[in-house]
Amino acid sequence: MPLLRNGQLAEQNPWVRVDDETGLPLADTTRLPVVSLQRFLDGMREHRRDVAGVSLAPDDDVTALAPWLDQLQLICIEIPVFTDGRGYSHARLLRERLGYVGEIRATGDVRPDQILHMARVGIDAFEFADEPDSELLTRILGRYRAFYQPSYPLAIAG
Amino acid sequence: MYRYTEFDKAFVQQRVDEFRDQTERFLAGRLDPDEYKQLRLRNGVYEQRHAHMLRVAIPYGTLSSEQLRTLGDIAEQFDRGFGHFTTRQNIQYNWPELADIPDILQKLADVEMHAIQTSGNVVRNTTTDPLAGATQDEIDDPRPWCELIRQWSTLHPEFNWLPRKFKIAVTGAESDRAAVQVHDIGLRLRRNDADETGFEVLVGGGLGRTPFIGSVIREFLPAADLLTYLNAILRVYNLEGRRDNLYKARIKILVSSMGIDAFRERVEADWEASRQTDDSFTEADINALRAQFPPAPWLGGDAQDKPDQVFSNPLFNQWYRTNTRAHRDPGRRIVYLSLKSQTLPAGDATAAQMRAIADLADTFSLGEIRSTHEQNLVFAHVPVDALHALWKALQALELATPNIGRLSDMIVCPGLDFCSLANAGTLTIYDQIYARFDAIDYQHELGEISIKISGCMNACGHHHVGDIGILGVEKNGEEWYQLTLGGHAGDAAALGKRLGKAIPKHGVAAAIGKILDTFVALREPQETFNQAVGRLGVAPFKETVYAAAA
Repeated sequence: MPLLRNGQLAEQNPWVRVDDETGLPLADTTRLPVVSLQRFLDGMREHRRDVAGVSLAPDDDVTALAPWLDQLQLICIEIPVFTDGRGYSHARLLRERLGYVGEIRATGDVRPDQILHMARVGIDAFEFADEPDSELLTRILGRYRAFYQPSYPLAIAG
Repeated sequence: MYRYTEFDKAFVQQRVDEFRDQTERFLAGRLDPDEYKQLRLRNGVYEQRHAHMLRVAIPYGTLSSEQLRTLGDIAEQFDRGFGHFTTRQNIQYNWPELADIPDILQKLADVEMHAIQTSGNVVRNTTTDPLAGATQDEIDDPRPWCELIRQWSTLHPEFNWLPRKFKIAVTGAESDRAAVQVHDIGLRLRRNDADETGFEVLVGGGLGRTPFIGSVIREFLPAADLLTYLNAILRVYNLEGRRDNLYKARIKILVSSMGIDAFRERVEADWEASRQTDDSFTEADINALRAQFPPAPWLGGDAQDKPDQVFSNPLFNQWYRTNTRAHRDPGRRIVYLSLKSQTLPAGDATAAQMRAIADLADTFSLGEIRSTHEQNLVFAHVPVDALHALWKALQALELATPNIGRLSDMIVCPGLDFCSLANAGTLTIYDQIYARFDAIDYQHELGEISIKISGCMNACGHHHVGDIGILGVEKNGEEWYQLTLGGHAGDAAALGKRLGKAIPKHGVAAAIGKILDTFVALREPQETFNQAVGRLGVAPFKETVYAAAA
C-alpha cells in the first residue's frame, strides 16, 4: 500500500500486520510483524521483547503500552472509517503524555484531506488505500502557515 | 468588538482557499461525495430539501455594521434576498448554489467572517448573553472568554471527528440568557470569596431526542485553567462517546450512563496528566482580548430612565416597556429589534432590512449589533435621548413590534418548508398562532410567555424549554403536533412536560387558546405563565385542551 512517511512517498515497507492466529516468528525474516494490542499484552509474554510493532484499534487503551514504548519502533493507528476520531487522541497521548518517539502510522480509511490534522496530533506516516496524488498532498500539508493550537504543531513538511 | 489580527486574516483566507480547492475537486469528480459532505459541513454547507443551506458564524452573536451590510449583500447577490437568524446566534441562507459558496466565503473573509465549524461533529459556535457588556447584572464580560474558546476550538486537530456535534455556551451575568444548562458544556463566570475569577462548569445538558439539564462537573474552576480543562472534557468525550448509534452519541448520553461522579473522575485524571502540555493562555492573552471589548463611553447624566416612567405616546410607551431593557449606564438603554412581525418568517430579515439596521447601528449603537438565540437582534448601547428617534426608524422597517418576551415572540425552526430532517411544518403554525392572538393588548395582559416550535425531535426550535413547546410529528403521513408545558431555558431551567395526545395541524391555535384561557382563569395576581404552571401542574391545562368536544 502506498505509504507517506515524513512527507515522502516511501517505497520500502518491511512491516506486516499479523493477525492474532498467525504464528510468530514469521517465516520471512525480512518482514517485521505488527500485532494487535491485545496480543501484545496478553498472548506474548515470552516473545514480547521480539516484537517492535503494535496496532491500536479505536477502543484500545493506549496507556497500556506505556511500559514498552522504548522497544517499539512502529505503532499503527487503525482508522476503520475516516469519521472515527479516536485515533487522533491515541496519537496525541502517545506523543505528549507517554513521550513515544517512534513512528506512528495511520492505517485503514486514510484519505489525503485528513492528513493535516493527523500530522498535527503526532502521526508521521500514512498508509493510503490508493496511490495518492503527491502534488495534492503537498498542497494539503502546506495550506496553512500556522494554527491556533501551538501545542499541536505541524511536525512534518509538505 | 474583536478585530482580526494578521494571523486571523491569513487563517480565514487559507480556509477559503482550502474549501475552494475541495469544492472544485468534488465538482470535477475527484473527491468522494461522502468525504466531501463532511468537509462541506465543517464549512457550514448543508444539503437541504430544495437547495444548499449555508450557516455563517456570528461568533458569540456579535456583528459590526460593516459585517451586517455584507450579510445583506450576500442575501441579495447569492440568495433570495433574506437571511435567517438562528437559535445559536448564527445566520443561515437557504438558497445559495454550491458552486458560489467559495465566493460567498471569500466575501465573508473580506469582512472578518467565516462559516468554519458551524456544522459537523466538531465544536460549534460558542454562544453567549446578547446583553454582554451592557447589562446591569454582569459579573464579568463573557465575550473575551468566548473569543478565547473560539480560537482554541478552531481547527483543533484532535477534535475534528467527534462522536457528534459539540456546543458550548457562556454566561457572565447573574441571570442566564445563554441557556447554559442545556448545552454540552455550559460555563458560568463566577467570583470566589477571594474575588478571583473562575467558572462553574456544567456538562451534559442538551435538547434533541433525549433532553437533559446539565450537571455540575466543577463548581469553581480557576479562570487560568479554562482551556486545559475544556481540552480534557473533549478528549474523554472523543475517546468514550458512543459511535455505534447516532442518537446516543452526544456527551449528555455519556455523562448520564457513566454518572457525573465517574465522568468527573475520568476528566480530572486526564486533566491532571495533560494540563502542563495542552494549550493554555496567559493573563496577558486574556487582557489583550478584554481590551477588544471596551465598555461603551459613559453618558451617565440624571437618569431620564425612571422605571415607572410613562411616556405620553402610548405606542412608544408600549415599545419602551416591552422591547427595551436597563443598561448599566443610566444614559443608555438596551433595545431589542423584533424579528417576529407577521410579514416574514420568525427570525428572518431582508437584505434591505439588514442594510438599514447596519446604518441605524452606526447612528444609535456604536456600530454594533447582537443576535440572540431567540432569533431577534439587539442594539446594546442606545443613548436614552435617542430612543424615540430610533423607535420611529424601527417602526418604518417593521422591526418594532412590541412583543419581546410575549406570545408572538416565538422561537421557530425552519421546519418542513426547508429542512430535510423535519416531520412537520412550523412556519404555518407560527402564522396560525400569530394571526389568532395578534391583539397586542391581550399579549401584554398575558405577560412573559415563550412558545417554542420544533419541526422534529432534533429540537432546533428548543421546544423542550418553552413555556409552551410544540413538536411537529408525522402521523399517518400527516402533520400533527405534540404540546409540552412548563419548560424554561434560563436560571430555573426545566424541561416541559407532555400535555397529552398529538393535535392535528388545524387545531393547534385553538389548543393554545384553551391553555391561555385556563391560565387567565386560574392565575394569581402578577403571576407569570411559567409560575402558574409550576404552581398548578399540567393537569388543569390538559383537562381543558382535551375536554370532550361539546
